[in-house]
Amino acid sequence: MSLLPFAHALAAKQDLPVPAWLFAWGASIVLIVSFFALAAGWRKPRFEEAHWRPLGAGLSRALCGRPMQALYGALGVFLLGVAIYSGLRGTEAPDRNFALTFFFVTAWLGFAFFSALLGDVFRPFNPWRAVGRAAGAGFRAIAGERPAHLAYPRALGRWPAAIGLLAVVWLEVVYGSSGGVAIGLDPETAAAAAFAYSAYTLAMMALFGVEEWCERGEVFSVYFGMFSQLGWFGVEDGKLGRRRPLAAATHWATLPGSAAVVIASIATTSFDGASEGAFKSAIESTFHWFADRGIGLTASLRLADTLFMLACFAGVALVYLLGVRGMRTIRGAPSLATLRVGFAHTLIPIALAYLVAHYFSLFVFQEQAQFTYLLSDPLGTASTDLFGTASGGIDFTVLSATATWYVQVGALVVGHVLGLTLAHDRALVYWPDYGQAARSQYWMLAVMVAFTCFGLYLLSVANG
Amino acid sequence: MLPLAHVGHYLWTLYLLPILFVVIGIVKTTLSERRRKGSDD
Repeated sequence: MSLLPFAHALAAKQDLPVPAWLFAWGASIVLIVSFFALAAGWRKPRFEEAHWRPLGAGLSRALCGRPMQALYGALGVFLLGVAIYSGLRGTEAPDRNFALTFFFVTAWLGFAFFSALLGDVFRPFNPWRAVGRAAGAGFRAIAGERPAHLAYPRALGRWPAAIGLLAVVWLEVVYGSSGGVAIGLDPETAAAAAFAYSAYTLAMMALFGVEEWCERGEVFSVYFGMFSQLGWFGVEDGKLGRRRPLAAATHWATLPGSAAVVIASIATTSFDGASEGAFKSAIESTFHWFADRGIGLTASLRLADTLFMLACFAGVALVYLLGVRGMRTIRGAPSLATLRVGFAHTLIPIALAYLVAHYFSLFVFQEQAQFTYLLSDPLGTASTDLFGTASGGIDFTVLSATATWYVQVGALVVGHVLGLTLAHDRALVYWPDYGQAARSQYWMLAVMVAFTCFGLYLLSVANG
Repeated sequence: MLPLAHVGHYLWTLYLLPILFVVIGIVKTTLSERRRKGSDD
């Protein structure tokens, strides 16, 4: 039996020993205890340096050498091509077509999860980077010099990636849900969007340079790169090395728009959950308001959803900025702009926690489909069985609703404790007096408790 | 009998309470520190 790719949680009631809201209280207590533990025991910054150490030269060569880079890139291009082809030529049924699960589950969630653990695993597989580098190498071979590029405007920073992130989620959640059912995004539209995005990305790479665009504007490089800052491994000068987990994040948010990327990540995940639960009746009321004024039904629904998604973005940004404003009240505080940039990376573990909490069960179930019937019959036409797994299906018993809830709570608690730790560590850089540093984090504690309770509320309503 | 038919609509307030407790605690701590600093000066 297959599962529609957009059912984000198993539709069954959990069997909990206490009401769901008590979990929010428990999680908040854990955060408060963590805050005091950090204030008492963490007296100097530990994450400002990543302490990168190279792994063996042989391992680096085996995993990061030029032949392997070419192989990874070719694999990325091939998979993108298969997904686009499946979307354009395969079945319209979204749960039977390779494209949707590959784009929105395997790639979107898989790269995020594994990047957070292992480091930037998307970079070698990035199909657009591979094509861009190949094109650049071809140009050099023919012209005898590197292609010229425009200087990337510094003020633009990662804003194109932040807007692109909102657009990707808008496509999946707003445009795709506009038919009033959860499977509104058809494979052909997803494939067309991927094709259009490929053209846009390659054009931007030609204008500004491959690495420049990947660092700043390419949505998936920036998004997965953000999570990769938490990971254990990193590549420097072509060598693979191990580093202190979380430490690379402390220098990630220096480009303009970085805070917007991580806020967009939290906001879009929140909206995806809230639109099915907590905001559902408000979205319906807004939809009716637009429809009663003569706007078409589909347009009214998209407009209502878009407004609420933007409201989520504004709400998450406001909570963060209130925390920043609160830190500013402590004597010796740097400027608001410095604080806003300096603490943006502390939201990355929260963005990851929200992603895990909201999509963990979808990933566990839908990846079974990805590696069984979708792999063997990518077009979904029942005419191929490439690997003999076309008759496979999803085993829903591997994960109960109760286990899912505990994973969700655990992810939110761990993510917010890590966020609190990063914030406390950064505060010790700005306030050499550790007492003032700890006091400065009162408001970040409030921010973390707010995000935790909000996340658990959304999940409890969505789970029913 | 208590009118509990619609109490489910207000469960969200229980998620708000920890945030309120933390914010009230912060405000009280900040005000008492300022008062103490003021009296020391």
